[in-house]
Amino acid sequence: MPRQTVTELFERGYRRNYAAPLSIRGTALTDAEGNRAEFSLDMTEGHVSAIGFRATTCATLIAYSELIAETVPGFSIGIAREFSAADLVDALEGVPELKRARAALAIAAFRAALDAAESRQSIETGGVPA
Amino acid sequence: MKVAYIFATSRHTVSYVLGKMILPQLEENRHGVTVVGMFFFEDNNYVLMKGNPIGDRLHKVAKKTGMLLMGCDQCCYEREIADKLFDGVPIGCFPDLYKALSGNMPDQVITL
Repeated sequence: MPRQTVTELFERGYRRNYAAPLSIRGTALTDAEGNRAEFSLDMTEGHVSAIGFRATTCATLIAYSELIAETVPGFSIGIAREFSAADLVDALEGVPELKRARAALAIAAFRAALDAAESRQSIETGGVPA
Repeated sequence: MKVAYIFATSRHTVSYVLGKMILPQLEENRHGVTVVGMFFFEDNNYVLMKGNPIGDRLHKVAKKTGMLLMGCDQCCYEREIADKLFDGVPIGCFPDLYKALSGNMPDQVITL
């Protein structure tokens, strides 16, 4: 994967942040500093086909959220769930330590959207949502 | 009186106004007001990079007086220096600045 900078991801993520949410919406989460993130997904044949988000306009949080949105499409829910905050921190150089907790918020909000997708799949296949 | 400075313009703002006026006065305890914080936009953030001679003196004053130093996060990311600032100097945007100043609010905010 080519090296990506926070600024590049922020610029693309800033536009995505104002796009309409996708069909499956996760719960919005807020951290102790008041930053908020909510992810939405489209699913195709059991795989994540597109990712959207709405996040507080913090450059670091949007960059981490955009990294998720650009990296994960194509993955199954199970594989997508393995993507971690540590993966985000490792993948994006240049974020000072004080701001790296934004990765945890982005991942938690993303996983909430995966939970929503899983519940919907379960209902569609006649199972009981987790 | 307590003031905060926002360094928003990029001509001689840091090298001259900060480096040759404000900073020496702070070092000599004769600035005339208490400076509770400084926030830096655009190229002014380079002064907060480790190794910058003006920044080194400024960082010493900040550690001694408790003065807040903060860089604009987007400006620092754009210049790829966000993780190269003096120890303990945060980056942030307006909500972070106001929150950081909330325990020691300035009477005046001066934009330079």
